[in-house]
Amino acid sequence: MRDRIQEALKRSKADYTEIRIEEKETTRVVFRGKDLEVANANIDKGGIVRSLIKNKGWGVVSFNNLDDLFTKVDQAYQCAQVGSAPEPIELASVEPVEKITTVEMKRDFRDIPLAEKKALAERYNQVVLSHSRKIVDTQAVYSDIFTHLILANSEGTYIEQEKPSVVVGTTAIARDGENVQQAHDSLATTQGYEYVLDKDELARKTAQKAVELLDAQSIKAGQYTVVADQMLAGVFIHEAFGHLSEADFVYENPKAREMMTMGRRFGKGLLNVYDDGSIPNLRGTTLYDDEGTPARRNWLIQDGELVGRLHSRQTAAKMGEKASGNARAINYRFAPIVRMTNTAIDNGATSFEDMIKDIELGVYACEAYGGQTQLENFSFSSGYAYMIRDGKIAEMVKDVILAGNLFATLENIDAIGNDFKWLNTGGGCGKGNQFPLPVGMGAPHIRIQNVVIGGK
Amino acid sequence: MDILTQLKKQAEQVEILNLQNEKTTIEYEANQLKNCAVAETKGTAVRVIRNGRLGFAASSDDTAMEKLAANALESAAYGDKAPFSFPEPEPAPIVRTFDKAVAELPIARLVEIGQEMLDLILPADPSARCNIILERSLISANIRNQKGLDVAFKTSPLSLGLEIDRVEGDDVLILYDQLGTTVWEKDYLAFARRLVEKLKMARIITHIKPGKMPVLFAPSGALALGLPLSEGLNGKAVYKGTSPMAGKIGEKLFDEKITIIDDGTIDGKFASASYDDEGVPHHRNVLVEKGVLKSFFYDLKTAAQSGVKSTGNAARGLFNPPEPSLTNFVIQPGQTPLKDILAGMDEGIIVEDLLGIGQGNMISGAFSNPLALAFKVEKGEIVGRVKDLSIAGNIYDLLMNVTAVSKEAQWVYNTVHAPYILISEMNVAGKS
Repeated sequence: MRDRIQEALKRSKADYTEIRIEEKETTRVVFRGKDLEVANANIDKGGIVRSLIKNKGWGVVSFNNLDDLFTKVDQAYQCAQVGSAPEPIELASVEPVEKITTVEMKRDFRDIPLAEKKALAERYNQVVLSHSRKIVDTQAVYSDIFTHLILANSEGTYIEQEKPSVVVGTTAIARDGENVQQAHDSLATTQGYEYVLDKDELARKTAQKAVELLDAQSIKAGQYTVVADQMLAGVFIHEAFGHLSEADFVYENPKAREMMTMGRRFGKGLLNVYDDGSIPNLRGTTLYDDEGTPARRNWLIQDGELVGRLHSRQTAAKMGEKASGNARAINYRFAPIVRMTNTAIDNGATSFEDMIKDIELGVYACEAYGGQTQLENFSFSSGYAYMIRDGKIAEMVKDVILAGNLFATLENIDAIGNDFKWLNTGGGCGKGNQFPLPVGMGAPHIRIQNVVIGGK
Repeated sequence: MDILTQLKKQAEQVEILNLQNEKTTIEYEANQLKNCAVAETKGTAVRVIRNGRLGFAASSDDTAMEKLAANALESAAYGDKAPFSFPEPEPAPIVRTFDKAVAELPIARLVEIGQEMLDLILPADPSARCNIILERSLISANIRNQKGLDVAFKTSPLSLGLEIDRVEGDDVLILYDQLGTTVWEKDYLAFARRLVEKLKMARIITHIKPGKMPVLFAPSGALALGLPLSEGLNGKAVYKGTSPMAGKIGEKLFDEKITIIDDGTIDGKFASASYDDEGVPHHRNVLVEKGVLKSFFYDLKTAAQSGVKSTGNAARGLFNPPEPSLTNFVIQPGQTPLKDILAGMDEGIIVEDLLGIGQGNMISGAFSNPLALAFKVEKGEIVGRVKDLSIAGNIYDLLMNVTAVSKEAQWVYNTVHAPYILISEMNVAGKS
């Protein structure tokens, strides 16, 4: 295969050509309520050729039949001819890499029979179902993906990577008359099957959370001091700030460009934020991105100042910066675009006790249930929350929706916890029509003053 | 050995789907030609029933047929009891879904069509930014099963999508429309001209006092009414007991001006074909006739679970088993000319487009959406665009009393054919 790929690249008439070949085996088991919905295995194998003619544009060809790479390379060149770039497209330089990586799992999930995976999902489903009579519907998912990826380009890069991923997750829907509440949790790993065993506790907690929410009162709308747990803080920094750091968004949008000027103040001096695809075994780890740029730590905010952003080779060249290792594609059907890897708020110095002890009336908001951002405005729902009264965690509340302006909110972060945690949840990030892309998020607890919370 | 022949020896029932798709996409972003892509997809999906249990597996690697067969059998070993059988071969209506003129449309011609759209829009409004996606595909599907069913069909979908945004100060206007067809359409720019008319009309911004008023749903806005209905008519929702219409066949649930048809046999439309994705012939299914609920729509599995026959509504992608799905969704045009409907409106709005359709508790029929594009009607005349309004209601209440359904109807979102529908009194919320 390697010879054929390299021969095809040699024949290309374009200024730059890259070939990505992906082979993916997936197993998925889903229980819904009492029923098994899915228990199957799929094989997906295909490739993509991307060619650039600098003063015209990109041509992209994706395919399943790998027999005739030469024709595909030519087709991509023909496609690139169609473009009419108003100015030449340049790519930031990246040292060519030759590297073949393999992974070793303690228990390779590819050797586990489907029966065992089904039994595992069924067990977690049972744990949720049997927790309470108030649980009216459930979902329990087991899914694994093993990807073998080849990336080669006309500059001499040739990389083979293996990427395993296993996810288990449970959803519980509890009902009491018209009152319907739900809770969800999942766990993902890039390591072996053994990591998803014995997670009854995760399933039980999901069920417990949904049932507890039935008795929670809706929060009273108003302005509160909010302490966000690691999960909510992680999702917040990814959604509300991280996407603005993606350079393709910035250079397409004059308003965003103005907003994201280097050196601009983004919070108090205690705030530090980075994106890092090089940390082993995290969900968003990609040692080389889908253009062959090695992963590294990219500081985005340091001491409260904007210091960096995320790039593909094209956006980096366009903005006169360095490629950052963030050009990623969800699979071989798509060209890479600028994406996050593992995004985090760096650890701080305040203990959780110190963070809440002086709060007379506040909210401890946990987990994230979804959110929307539009430039600097965001709105997030937390999964569940508790009131903080006189420095202590008090009763559970629901319908906690945090809304606000990114800059004001970052500026209002006045304490950062010393309990940093990477979140190993199984969700994915969506951008354009590429969803879901595995990303990692991490943060300690953070405290934010004057957060507007909607509600009744 | 052919995978069907092989699996027939190992399972009672076998179904093989071969799918091939070649898609060419041209993209304009902000009036600039940005991207040209060709995507070829090829794969095989297998369903088997062994010892009465259903298994599924799929693969896009045609060198891995052995593994595909093994995966399907393993899936069946732990699968649910299959309540149905794969179908016998049956004659089907002839439906035109393939046109050489579309299948062989050169890339250069697609680029040209994109330019024609720009030439139509930019002179009318130089501050418009157009995102255009032109896509033509050639899809071949072949379904075979152990009963000798062997159906093959080719379709040549062409889709022209046009999004126009115009930002002026705090005013953001976003318009979208598309043409979807599988046979060459002579007047392929008609939809773009329609959009230009809206773009011009949207220049005039006017106000309306929120409150109760007549609301006229344009064909594109009628989706807000149609989508919850399509969920409720789905045989799976009926079987699971979540559809509000479950158990109400033969009852008059809607105004007698409402007739709804699912029709996969219309020539040239996106969801048309002689057969569905399980090899069952497509039909013209009357779901609601003059307000009376007549039928739900089913695939083989949900039909068997409900003790009825498949209505030919199975749809699937390569990597997922079939699910019941509407083909072309037709809300029958009515008797009243649009101009007469407008003439009868003293003060009200036309709803063209809503934000966030499909979110929330859709199955219950409830909706609550901000209006993305709406026009004010005053004494029978369209006088301008109204902003910052929202409507909410429940379609099961609203469609019980429909004041008028227009004679004129349009294809929107490729597979929906809808007239203008007038609700004489609805609450329109907004800042007064």
